[in-house]
Amino acid sequence: MLIFSVFKTLTDQQVTVELKNDLSITGVLKSVDQFLNIRLDNIKVLDEARHPHMMAVKNCFIRGSVVRYVQLPSEHVDTQLLEDATRRESLAAVKR
Amino acid sequence: MSFFGLPENNLEEERQKIRNGGSHENEDVAVYTWGEESYDGLGDALQEGGDDLNDETFGGAGNVGKDFDFAGQTGLLEPELAQQKAASQAQPSQPFGQHPPSDRRTPQSLESIWDDRSPFSVLPRENGGVSRFAERGERREPSTAQFSPFPESPVLQQPNAAQTGARTLQEIEAEMYAAALHSRSASQRQQNALRLQQEEEQFLQDQAFQRQRLALQREREREQERELQLQALQRLQQQQVIQLREQPQHQRTPPPRMLPVSQSPRFLDQRQMMLLQQQEEHQHQLRLQQELQEHIRMEELERQLRTQQISQLNQGPTHLSHRRQQSGPTIAELQALQQQQLHRRQRSQSPAYQDFNIAPQNVHLQQRLLAELAQVEYMRDFQGATQAEQEALRAEAMRKIVEAEKMEDKRRRKAAKIAHMSRYNDLMTQSDKDFITRIQVSQLVTPDPYADDFYAQVYGAILRSRMGLQTQDERVLKFGTGGGISLGNTQKVATRRPNAMQRMEQQVERIVSNARKREEEKGLHSLHSLQGALGKTSGRSYKAAPRQLLQVDDNSTTSPTLSHAHPHISKEDATSPASEGAAKEAAKLSRETLGNTGNVVRKDPLTRRQVLTTLESLYDLVLKVEHLRREQPSPEEEDASRQWRKEYDDLVELLWEGLKVMVPLETSNPHPFVSLLTPSKGKKLLPRLTRHIGSSRMLTLMTLLVACFTQLDVVRQAPLLDVLEETSERAEVERQTQAFLGSVLQSILPIVANLELHVVTALLGLLIERSQDIANVAKTKPGLALLTLFLSRVEVIKQAWGTGAEPVDPMTAGASLEQWQAVFDQFFVLITPHFLSLFPSSRITLQAHHPTSAALAIDIIDQPVWQFLAALALQAVPEQHQVLVTSLRDKVLENVLSANKGWVADEDERRTKLANVNLFLHALGLDSSQIAL
Repeated sequence: MLIFSVFKTLTDQQVTVELKNDLSITGVLKSVDQFLNIRLDNIKVLDEARHPHMMAVKNCFIRGSVVRYVQLPSEHVDTQLLEDATRRESLAAVKR
Repeated sequence: MSFFGLPENNLEEERQKIRNGGSHENEDVAVYTWGEESYDGLGDALQEGGDDLNDETFGGAGNVGKDFDFAGQTGLLEPELAQQKAASQAQPSQPFGQHPPSDRRTPQSLESIWDDRSPFSVLPRENGGVSRFAERGERREPSTAQFSPFPESPVLQQPNAAQTGARTLQEIEAEMYAAALHSRSASQRQQNALRLQQEEEQFLQDQAFQRQRLALQREREREQERELQLQALQRLQQQQVIQLREQPQHQRTPPPRMLPVSQSPRFLDQRQMMLLQQQEEHQHQLRLQQELQEHIRMEELERQLRTQQISQLNQGPTHLSHRRQQSGPTIAELQALQQQQLHRRQRSQSPAYQDFNIAPQNVHLQQRLLAELAQVEYMRDFQGATQAEQEALRAEAMRKIVEAEKMEDKRRRKAAKIAHMSRYNDLMTQSDKDFITRIQVSQLVTPDPYADDFYAQVYGAILRSRMGLQTQDERVLKFGTGGGISLGNTQKVATRRPNAMQRMEQQVERIVSNARKREEEKGLHSLHSLQGALGKTSGRSYKAAPRQLLQVDDNSTTSPTLSHAHPHISKEDATSPASEGAAKEAAKLSRETLGNTGNVVRKDPLTRRQVLTTLESLYDLVLKVEHLRREQPSPEEEDASRQWRKEYDDLVELLWEGLKVMVPLETSNPHPFVSLLTPSKGKKLLPRLTRHIGSSRMLTLMTLLVACFTQLDVVRQAPLLDVLEETSERAEVERQTQAFLGSVLQSILPIVANLELHVVTALLGLLIERSQDIANVAKTKPGLALLTLFLSRVEVIKQAWGTGAEPVDPMTAGASLEQWQAVFDQFFVLITPHFLSLFPSSRITLQAHHPTSAALAIDIIDQPVWQFLAALALQAVPEQHQVLVTSLRDKVLENVLSANKGWVADEDERRTKLANVNLFLHALGLDSSQIAL
């Protein structure tokens, strides 16, 4: 839930999603759901020469399971808060 | 089974009966069984032959005239018939009158049946079916009340119509028979002998005739059956086509699981009805034929009745036309029907649809025939036209046909596509959808939004507060930003809110409370109760948390203070002195317990690992405390308040203990508290604690900090900052220093700002005493900042006393000031030799051609020093001013000179330099502009 929570605060921010098939897509994060499926708008693929078929694509829906990394804009992530959130989560996990 | 289904009566007996006027009361309806399973094969045993005179006998040779005067003849007959009827009613025992009227059918002339070449003549006969069940009572009787060939009354077109009032054909027939018998009886005796002979001939002839008829009938029977099958097939096909065409007109097509209409039981009923009708009609015809036979026999028998018989036979064509109209519509009606059909294709559910299903069964065949006729006529018309015209016309027609076909094909394909696409429409009901929505929402809704959605909630709150947004309606905002997953605290009373919002909230609240209730009911395993309800997620948890790489057993904690072991174990820690062996640990423990007699037990400083685990447990406590603070009950609820307060205080107490501030100073070097401050997250923890720890405790904390100032990593490592090369160590020290200035000093700032003068004095004295070299402390950023803090606080106190803003006892004030001045003097003396080296720019040895940015950076890092000197100058007595000026003269001149002579890279540097100098000079009551160069 933590990652979902973090992604929710990043809506309308520019993120780069690296897929497991080595495709890197940069776009504006529109929405994310509990499965960490990602909807991107106004997308641009990192290496367009290698993926010409992606040039015409303007927005996309990415299934959460195919994502390898998501590069977040650091200025929009509160690291200390994130630490606290992880602490809370691990605390909750211990309680259970 | 008897021949022709006349039960237990052979022909001879029949004849006898007729002759004797025998009773036929119980005579059954003719039942024909050819082609059926129970057929006894008698028909095959019939002798074929002796048909030579058939044509003569049945009048098939000549043309049937069309000059019948039906109306006239029947009109003439009317009175006689009436008379006959009266007679028959008067004499019920008369032989032929005994026949049940329902057994009688309209006699038909042979010519009309055999020689009619009109396309419609065959139609009714093709629709008949053999039925063993005669349904005597329910049989529909064609009305013979009117024999006129003129437009038929609706009654005639509806076989079902009741026939009350008008006389039936049977009645008339019966009357006629009665009349015939009556007249016959008169001449019977004279012709007895002759008739016997004639009868012999007649019998033979009859037999031959009947054989022939039987064969013919069987033939026709088969034909009819084939025709029937074909017709049924055609009808089915047409219905399917119609259904296909009608589909797009339906609002929605039935889902695939539904049967087509043609297979529905209702429809089957209709078809059965149609078949029944056909069978009845066929029976009707058969009966007609049978009666015809009888008539013929009668003719043979009763020559003297010929005139009457002729009049009856003349009705043949009338019957024909009547029959045609009864069984099938006229051409006009057919056209109307076609029109209707066309209409029906356009309006799918018109009332005509119902009519069509039980419409006259031979419509299709008739249509076909009509079309053929029309084609023949069309071809005939063509003969007149020229070849070219014909060609053109044909081409045009072909083109139109192809076009129409194309359009039709296109339309059908489109319709099929739409039907295909929409076939799953509405497979889910609204309640199905609601159910799934509930599952989805209940997976997202949690009883504690702060636990499961902590980041988003707090981040949103921080963002809102940063943007200065009013958070009066916190819950709704949370709902909006939280994507419906958290409602926050529900006990907050809502003020004026739009109705729609309230309703939505209520709905979500209900869902939340239901989900909560369900979770409670299901107990511990509630988390997994709905797992996979909407498909597998990550295979592990629906919370979609990433897999934890390190799975550490929480029970294997080494010390009671460490609530759970931290998974991050670095190599560094493994080699640290604290973890050298368990034996050493045990020895230390025993020493601790034994040496508890006043002397401070020396201990090894906390290891990095211990620091980190302690910090984590402290963070957990802080989080708990913060969570508790959010749930602070209103002061009205006394019990809850008291309990909350107790819980809160306990937690704060734990925190305080965890900080190890009260551990004796000499326990270790560095002090455990200082060790805790070493990692940046330790430094960052302090500001979050100050809210909960009371100011007296904070003062203690600060005292400890001052006492152990030299032990701080940022002080010890400070010289690293005096090199300009970018190393990872320097970057780390820089980062830690910033964290210290930003977190620790910021958190003690409010404490210092409220300190009494004597406390400041004590603190400064403590700092001087505890640090071997106060100049070294002053050379560090944190030290300089702390000293500046103290000095400025004293200045503030002095000003407050001077202006009387802070009423103070002059005695104590004087004593305090005296104390302060003593400590300050001591401090000043200690620091004086190091004035120049306080400046980082002086300590840093610059390369010859340093980049301009470096120069500017130096000026910026010099700024705190100038500030400190300014604060020092304010506290200094005039003699000390002299010392200050002489010590710093070169530095001031250098800055002013480089600023005024333009030895600077840009305006920024110049201004910074001047600002720095002025900062100090203003404290002395001077200005850089006064400096004459």
